[in-house]
Amino acid sequence: MSVHKAWAAGIAAAVALGMAACSPGSGSTDKSDAPSAVSTDVAAAGNVTLKLTDFWGAAEGEWIKQVVADFQKKYPNVTIQRTTEDWGQLNSTLNLQLQDDGGPDLATANNGWQSLGTLAKGGLVRNLDAYAKAYGWDKDVPTTIARQNKFSTDFKTMGSGSWFATPMARTSLIGLYYNADKLKTLGIEPPTSLADLEADAAKAKAAGEVPFQYGSLDGSTSMVLGLQAMLADKKKLNDYIYDNPSVKATDVAMTDAVQLTKKWADAGYFPQHFEGIDYQTAVANFVGGKGVFRWEYTGSLGLNAQQQGHFGYVQLPQQAGSGTVGVGAAPGAMVISSKSKHPDVAAAFLDYLMSPEAGQAGVDRGLVPAMSPNAKVPAASLSLTGESKAAATLDAGDGYVPYFDWSSPTMLDTLGQNLQLVFAGKMTADKFTAAVDKDRDTFLAGQS
Amino acid sequence: MPATVTGTPASARETRPAPATDVRRRSMRRRTRWIGLAFAALPLGVYAIVVLVPLAQSVQYSFYKWDGVSASTWVGFDNYVSFVTDPVLRSTLGHVLVLIGFFALLPIILGLLSAALLTRAKQPGMAVYRWIFFLPQVMTTVVIALVFKRIYAPDGPLNEALRAVGLDSLARTWLGDFTWALPALGLIGTWVTFGFCMVLFISGTSAIAPELYEAARMDGAGPVREFFAVTLPGLRGQLAIALTLTITAALRTFDLVWITTHGGPGTSTLTPAVALYKAAFQNPQVGLAAAIGVVMAALCLVIAVVITRVSERD
Repeated sequence: MSVHKAWAAGIAAAVALGMAACSPGSGSTDKSDAPSAVSTDVAAAGNVTLKLTDFWGAAEGEWIKQVVADFQKKYPNVTIQRTTEDWGQLNSTLNLQLQDDGGPDLATANNGWQSLGTLAKGGLVRNLDAYAKAYGWDKDVPTTIARQNKFSTDFKTMGSGSWFATPMARTSLIGLYYNADKLKTLGIEPPTSLADLEADAAKAKAAGEVPFQYGSLDGSTSMVLGLQAMLADKKKLNDYIYDNPSVKATDVAMTDAVQLTKKWADAGYFPQHFEGIDYQTAVANFVGGKGVFRWEYTGSLGLNAQQQGHFGYVQLPQQAGSGTVGVGAAPGAMVISSKSKHPDVAAAFLDYLMSPEAGQAGVDRGLVPAMSPNAKVPAASLSLTGESKAAATLDAGDGYVPYFDWSSPTMLDTLGQNLQLVFAGKMTADKFTAAVDKDRDTFLAGQS
Repeated sequence: MPATVTGTPASARETRPAPATDVRRRSMRRRTRWIGLAFAALPLGVYAIVVLVPLAQSVQYSFYKWDGVSASTWVGFDNYVSFVTDPVLRSTLGHVLVLIGFFALLPIILGLLSAALLTRAKQPGMAVYRWIFFLPQVMTTVVIALVFKRIYAPDGPLNEALRAVGLDSLARTWLGDFTWALPALGLIGTWVTFGFCMVLFISGTSAIAPELYEAARMDGAGPVREFFAVTLPGLRGQLAIALTLTITAALRTFDLVWITTHGGPGTSTLTPAVALYKAAFQNPQVGLAAAIGVVMAALCLVIAVVITRVSERD
């Protein structure tokens, strides 16, 4: 009995101690103001060592290694120590790493409220406005990409205000991949419009092919988001995702995109039993030659040099004939830690990441370049040719919309879960749209 | 019990000739106690740092709305309230109840049955069977989940087998089906814990005095009567252990769900642990995650205490 009492007392004491301590998060709320005097002279900075933590592996890992080496060659006084962690691992620990005095100077964050917004609000990453001015980023970076890295300094709005991260000379888009060999066999040209695509899908179905390779077991949403970008008004869609409460999900073609997806599912355009197929299996099936089309994020198919000649990519124009709009963002938001002792040099590296040299280094490794209109793409790579063309079109027409799930931290789950309900006939497209609004509005209500 | 039995009678102490030894003994006893505490101090300190302090912190966080980085706001019991009022979060408790059926009740019933059958007649190669059934217990959940994901796949072995015997109508996308995903996951749990329960019960029955069985048989008890009159009461301790471990395992289910369905389709397989992970590491709602964790920890504790109390009652 006395043992129990001692335990109870111990736990009570521990709890009381915890309660008495300051409330969580109160230690790191010092806001970072934009430094007034910044220097772009890297050579004059003396010997500087910067720590970079990123989530890039495979070809992207090779790319960053190359860019780091090039930068060090340009500025022999700078050493960049690179660490890499997998995407999920870095996303869930970056806030802790940036609070550590020995943490990274530079890191890749994820855009949106979950990662970048939280870090900026917590004062863990630097306000980069002074550097944006010094390097002319506002002029060089397409507005629709620049917005993705901005937050208002009261941290109530995303998509405007101060720079807290920078993109790079690479991009990641959602678009339509096609199996070029199958198109040839079916006797059809790559589609140039949504109507084209629907006709091609019907033709493929009639020929006994799977028109769209897709699996919804883990709630894959790239198809719906890809379609939405073709159906919605660009400005409204941007505004919705940047949390303008006056724009509703019905204004951004959410219902239409879901309806069209469901129509295709009912028409048998997806593989049999696609509800039980997970993302990895669907990707492997498509690359392995099952299915004619696939909506996918660029770079996610993992095509090797030989396969790149057999798969094409198109960014279909908007249905309303209002140019080309695509879901796209830099594959990472580069931040500078508030604890970094050499922000000037770090900013110079961020600027270098946006240079055409960095873009070309990406192309050389099969990655999609951005802000590098003169990048030389190997003609043998059909997919990279299509992807680069799409990026150039979107860059020129300022046609990017951000990933829809940036609108709230729980949005990706909401989209995936409810899409599964729609496929099972347990939810209508209207209800889906209402659920999307509810998710975002709940989040916005909690923000204020 | 009378108190005098434990202490030395007063008269005996008075007759003791040398009080010096008494003092020495007492000081020695005191010293051993201090030495004991000193030995325990390090593990206790470690325990406090890795268990008690985080526990207290979790309780503290659960009263705040906090994104994990910036300043937090005190919200009282709001996080706990939303755990029970939010329809999706509340549904996770229902899912856990179903999982308890598959993780705890079903394996225990099957384990008892197989233990009763296996101990009645000694067969050659028993150890091999035991080893085979126990195997899932020593396998990593991640491996098990990946294997079953393959088994349940649309063109996986289970559906192929059903089709091969003409049961095409039963073949389905097990993990993508709103009705079947949760039971399909539950059966994985049954498969994992069944062997453990069986081995536990077999060792338990071997500890029951054979005389009891003889007596039961002489009284004319059949195998069924024998099971309920002798085996089951004799296994009370093992039952308590099996129930505690399997129920807490069901309450904590994370990796199985995370790897196979991510909580889908819809939210039909979402468990509190998965909801906790999403809140803590994917969406900046650390307070809510802490509240879920605290509730689940309290539930585990209550269940463990109730089971121990009930099993120890005469």
